[in-house]
Amino acid sequence: MSMIEVKNLKKSFGGDIVLDGIDFRVEKGQTVSVIGPSGAGKSTMLRCLINLETADGGDICISGNYLMKDGHYVSDKQRRAVCARMGMVFQNFHLFPHLSVLKNLMLAPVNAKKLTHEEAHQKADALLKKVGLDGKQKAMPSELSGGQKQRVAIARALMMEPDLLLFDEPTSALDPQLTGEVLAVIQELARENMTMIVVTHEMGFAKGVSDKILFMGDHRIIEEGTPDEIFNHPKDARITEFVSKIL
Amino acid sequence: MNYIFSLTMSMMEGVQYTVGLFLITVLFSIPLGLALTLLRNSKNGVFRGVTGFYVWLMRGTPLLLQLFFFYFGLPNLPFVGQYLVLGRFEAACITFILNYAAYFCEIFRGGILSVDAGQYEAAQVLGFSKWQTNFKIVFPQMLKVCLPSISNECITLVKDTALITAISVTEILYFAKAAVNRDTNATAYIVAAVFYLIMTYGLTRLFRWLERKFHY
Ligand SMILES: Nc1ncnc2c1ncn2[C@@H]1O[C@H](COP(=O)(O)OP(=O)(O)O)[C@@H](O)[C@H]1O
Ligand SMILES: [Mg+2]
Repeated sequence: MSMIEVKNLKKSFGGDIVLDGIDFRVEKGQTVSVIGPSGAGKSTMLRCLINLETADGGDICISGNYLMKDGHYVSDKQRRAVCARMGMVFQNFHLFPHLSVLKNLMLAPVNAKKLTHEEAHQKADALLKKVGLDGKQKAMPSELSGGQKQRVAIARALMMEPDLLLFDEPTSALDPQLTGEVLAVIQELARENMTMIVVTHEMGFAKGVSDKILFMGDHRIIEEGTPDEIFNHPKDARITEFVSKIL
Repeated sequence: MNYIFSLTMSMMEGVQYTVGLFLITVLFSIPLGLALTLLRNSKNGVFRGVTGFYVWLMRGTPLLLQLFFFYFGLPNLPFVGQYLVLGRFEAACITFILNYAAYFCEIFRGGILSVDAGQYEAAQVLGFSKWQTNFKIVFPQMLKVCLPSISNECITLVKDTALITAISVTEILYFAKAAVNRDTNATAYIVAAVFYLIMTYGLTRLFRWLERKFHY
């Protein structure tokens, strides 16, 4: 059973079609990168997967549990249960600015009664260590650099122990010299076989870390393949053009 | 000196109504204002319409008129009037709570609009319920933005409490006016002014402290 299976996913805003039948699957432990020109619908696709946008049609199935089947969403309660298996990291971090780093991490699992206060505290300490931010527990988000904020955001998502982690351009808001520290954390997660879908413009990263790459353009997945297939033997001219422009 | 001292002592009796009205109004109108804000921002058009009308009505008419309406007007309504006879201080409290809730509603609405949409999305993907999102994420951020306006509103409220002298509640200004009439001497007004200044100064300091505390 795939970790995520998407069939014929459709979405339009007003009359504008943004997703025109998306099909793909991600197996447990895979890292899948999504690349493609701006406006292709990459963010919208991720947002549909985690229920931040309401899709118009298709199937979304997360390790055997449907979020949407034949264009019909499951009940609100089931939706929440399905989405609880996923975490998301945003381009602009969206840390809670009024809470310390530690509280940013602890709030969700304590709220959801997933962990006790003490357990959450311990887990937060461990995750901060993992992302290289041990000692920043008491810092406020406004005191952190962009790279540090994004690493806190990743740790915050990991607190909920998701089966699948979605990243929407996690380094696009960062100064170039800060992207490396964030990509290193994602790479480490890939090594630990975290299942991830990463929308990114970092071609070197996509090449190095991905089990599979989806190239999106014109509201569809134009091609899917290994990094070697996409970067060295693309079938579609649009990929050649995109890759040459971005490198 | 003795005269000022005796004026001060008599006005101290009025302080309980002034401070009482202030505290009761703040205590009830802030949560009520918050509830109105949620209705005002709700998806339900009827709720939005009704709260919009309410805010328009309360902010668009004089507080003194509302006070007269609740104290003198209600008992004169046909049929139900006899059940709506309120004590002076009760009428004052109800009027002030209803009036100030409308102002707080508008203040909070602006504050909530200033909270970034990404905060709601982050909360949603982390599994927060609507209540948890509001109370743990949105309201604290809204409060920071609103504090200066809340502070202004509270200072206005201190001064507005003097209006209830018009329905003969024995607050500070009531005693001042009585003393001035009795003694044909304006000193009592100055003593009353000092009372109000002390209260508004205290509030200003309190809010400055709160703003520092909420700074992040
Ligand atoms: N909330 C929205 N309302 C209307 N149009 C939107 C909305 N979100 C995205 N779009 C449109 O959908 C298209 C795809 O956007 P997006 O998914 O952000 O692309 P990408 O992430 O690949 O750059 C764009 O044309 C964008 O203008
Ligand atoms: Mg995007």
